[in-house]
Amino acid sequence: MIQQFEVDGVPTLLAPTDGPMQAALSFRVGTADETLARSGITHLLEHLALAPIGLADYHFNGATGPAVTRFQLQGSEQDIADFLAAVCRNLHDLPVQRFDLEKEILRTEWGSRSPGVMDAVPLWRHGARDHGLASYPEFGLSMLKPDDLRAWASRYFTRENAVLWIAGAQVPAGLRLPLPGGTRHPVPTPSSALPSTPAYFTSGSRAVALDAVVRRDTAAGVFAEVLERELFRSLRQEGGLSYTATAVYEPRDHEYASLRALADALPEKQWAVLGGFADVLAKLNVGRIEQSDLDAHVGKVSDALGSAAVHAARLPSFAFNLLVGAPNLSLEEYRAELKQVTVADLHRVAEEVMSSALLMVPEGCRADWAGFAEAPTRSTDALPGTSYTSIDGNGELRFGPDGVSYLGPGGPLSVPYIETAALLAWPDGARQVIGLDGIGMRIEPTLFQLHPDTVRLLDDRIPARLRVDMPARAPEAIPVPAPVQPVAKPPLRPYGWLAVVGLVLSGLATVGVGGFALLMTLGAFVTEEADGFIWGLVVFSWILTAIVVLPIFLIRRHHRRSR
Amino acid sequence: MDGCRSDPSPVLRHGTHAVIVITYDPAMPAPLPAPDFDPGAAFPEVKRLRAALTGADWPAVEQLFDGRDATTVSHLVNHASDLPEIEDFLRSVVARQPGEALPATLLAACLVVTGWKIRTDKRANQVSREQFDQFHAYLRQAEQILIDVTARHPDYVTAWDWRLTTAMGLGMGQSEARRRYDRLARHEPHHLPGQQSLLQKLCPKWGGSWDAAHTFARECMNAAPEGGHHGVLVVTAHLEQALESDTPRQAGEYLLSMPVWQGIQEAARRSVWHPGFRHGWGWLGVRGTFAMAFGLMGDHKAAAAQFSALGNLGSDAMFGYLGDATEQFQKFRAEAYAKGGAR
Repeated sequence: MIQQFEVDGVPTLLAPTDGPMQAALSFRVGTADETLARSGITHLLEHLALAPIGLADYHFNGATGPAVTRFQLQGSEQDIADFLAAVCRNLHDLPVQRFDLEKEILRTEWGSRSPGVMDAVPLWRHGARDHGLASYPEFGLSMLKPDDLRAWASRYFTRENAVLWIAGAQVPAGLRLPLPGGTRHPVPTPSSALPSTPAYFTSGSRAVALDAVVRRDTAAGVFAEVLERELFRSLRQEGGLSYTATAVYEPRDHEYASLRALADALPEKQWAVLGGFADVLAKLNVGRIEQSDLDAHVGKVSDALGSAAVHAARLPSFAFNLLVGAPNLSLEEYRAELKQVTVADLHRVAEEVMSSALLMVPEGCRADWAGFAEAPTRSTDALPGTSYTSIDGNGELRFGPDGVSYLGPGGPLSVPYIETAALLAWPDGARQVIGLDGIGMRIEPTLFQLHPDTVRLLDDRIPARLRVDMPARAPEAIPVPAPVQPVAKPPLRPYGWLAVVGLVLSGLATVGVGGFALLMTLGAFVTEEADGFIWGLVVFSWILTAIVVLPIFLIRRHHRRSR
Repeated sequence: MDGCRSDPSPVLRHGTHAVIVITYDPAMPAPLPAPDFDPGAAFPEVKRLRAALTGADWPAVEQLFDGRDATTVSHLVNHASDLPEIEDFLRSVVARQPGEALPATLLAACLVVTGWKIRTDKRANQVSREQFDQFHAYLRQAEQILIDVTARHPDYVTAWDWRLTTAMGLGMGQSEARRRYDRLARHEPHHLPGQQSLLQKLCPKWGGSWDAAHTFARECMNAAPEGGHHGVLVVTAHLEQALESDTPRQAGEYLLSMPVWQGIQEAARRSVWHPGFRHGWGWLGVRGTFAMAFGLMGDHKAAAAQFSALGNLGSDAMFGYLGDATEQFQKFRAEAYAKGGAR
């Protein structure tokens, strides 16, 4: 049984466990509550709260998720009481002397983390805001001041916005949770960057992935298992196309959950994995769901529900539900719901999955043929403004009263000032504007002939709270326009022997006949007796000259054309 | 027109093949009577099906398909797919009978053929952007209908066959074409129309390789019972490669090179020369393809035997690769009879 009571005003859940005692203090705050320009604030606070405890010999960790931040420890009763009290104290009495050090640690953590295959999914679905921020680097770290963190702590890290769970026999003696009062914050409403679903985007990773949004219920959880079985059977067992094929159901807030699935692919099998993946979704979407898959899963879960460890195992999801305001089912209620799940329920979930689906496909693939719309990579319109052409002539920047646009190959990129998520500013004058929809552009002054005031005007248009000062770049990191390559004409090949003979003969004849014509003309002018015959001879000799010189022009023209 | 997918519809007449000019002996006998290219002449069911579809008589259409095997269904759908102006009728049937395989597959096949007519069979660089956009839009429509059919009826082989054609037109990778064929072959391991579709995709013009094409053709032929039609795959693959040549002489030289010649002889022994060879669906295309290969190889006697077995019936087979299919068929036939005896 899970018992629920309060410790210092914090809702607390307790369940017995066979193993060592564990506890986790969670707060309803995460990256989804942040803004891009100040992103990383929750993670930094979590690190600062744990930093002074760093040297003690505890099995502890902290985790900042999209909606929940958690401090967890395994240890003795005393360890747990000390740890939780220290976390609460540190959150509101920040070790400011470690401020810059922890920022550096976070930057290193970001730089050395192994990127997840599905890291990009949130930004494609939500943009550069709320639930989409999980995809972005922690841009805001450099701008955060101790006061920002204090304000963040007093807003979110309060007893009303917290839940504690303990897996153990009882509440540790002397446990205190010294947290200030506040309010419970609902999970931010997710924004959408997708004009329509089902949609798809292309990623550099060699995997096909699905992200869907479904209403939270027992059938949706079962569906994830059925989907995983189908993917595994179709892509691994029958097709031999994938090694990994998984599906996970994860509650997002009180009402909706994410359903995510992933299948990896060898480079030469990517199309087949995509095709097989789409066919699995189509099969479930038309309701061809195996009763045996449903029965197998229900059987497996029922067995697990019978084990002694089940109550402790349910503590994290119980705590999450308390934090986000979702109802918690008792074990008996859950068991009863599980038994009632039918193939028709799963079909209903499959349709929900399909209608909200965002598919990630490997580079070089598309999914429009299967009815998935391409997620936008460009803005619909360019904004009017003063135009600057790039030095290489391939793009155009426009600074206008309402926003900034870049017009280049592939369509416009536009960020209206009022829909800016962040303005990244480098000391050398470069700027990156990122729109709330995730579309943005880099403005490199070295690549455009900008008016000197342009960047300053842009800075003035965007509120200071959206600005992020970036560290100076190494000179070699600043782009330079590609030098204009002079187009060299290919060298002329030498004349062939026939052409040489032609040129020589024609030249000699020209000199001879032309000389005669010249002499005749001069003679005709100086002689008073020049009659019609003489003048006729003059004209004739010039015509002859023109004829004998013609081969020279013809040979040269032919030679140039055949270069 | 005959039953092989590689023959009649514009679907597979879009190859990037070289046009080869064949020269003829001036001392030819009097022209033969023109052969009958109407597939209805060889298969009365085709005539009835086309009449039923044109007359919007769905019960009659259904009756013609009732209880037929996958090969028959594929050939019948193929022969219906180029009928003009039956899309609206088929849409109304699909709306009345949602989830049924036959009307949806017929509709999808018509959409593919309509799309391919817009694309034309010209080389890609001679097809405009708008033509490609429309072509792809038709194919996407067809593909989504077929995805639904195969999701509901994974054993409906003809829908998988057409999904091989959409995969080709929509530029999907080789691995996806192979996966679709594997899904088809799971239910019909010797389904020749599907094998002919995949063979096209395995050719270099659709992103494959000669090695893959020949290997697949040989494997299918060897796996199928002797006396069947499957030898035509080996000949088709060789003709595809031969017709990439710049001159008829080179094409002939390729076909007469020892391993190729041997391969074609073996293919003939296993099919058109086999005592068990039957004139079932697609036989016109099989004999026509062999006749063309023998003609290009200068084996006029062997060619004449195939033309003679065709009687007064004609087949586009692969003759369209050389120009107008009807004209080329007749030229090859006349030359075979003139030089190879029997008529």
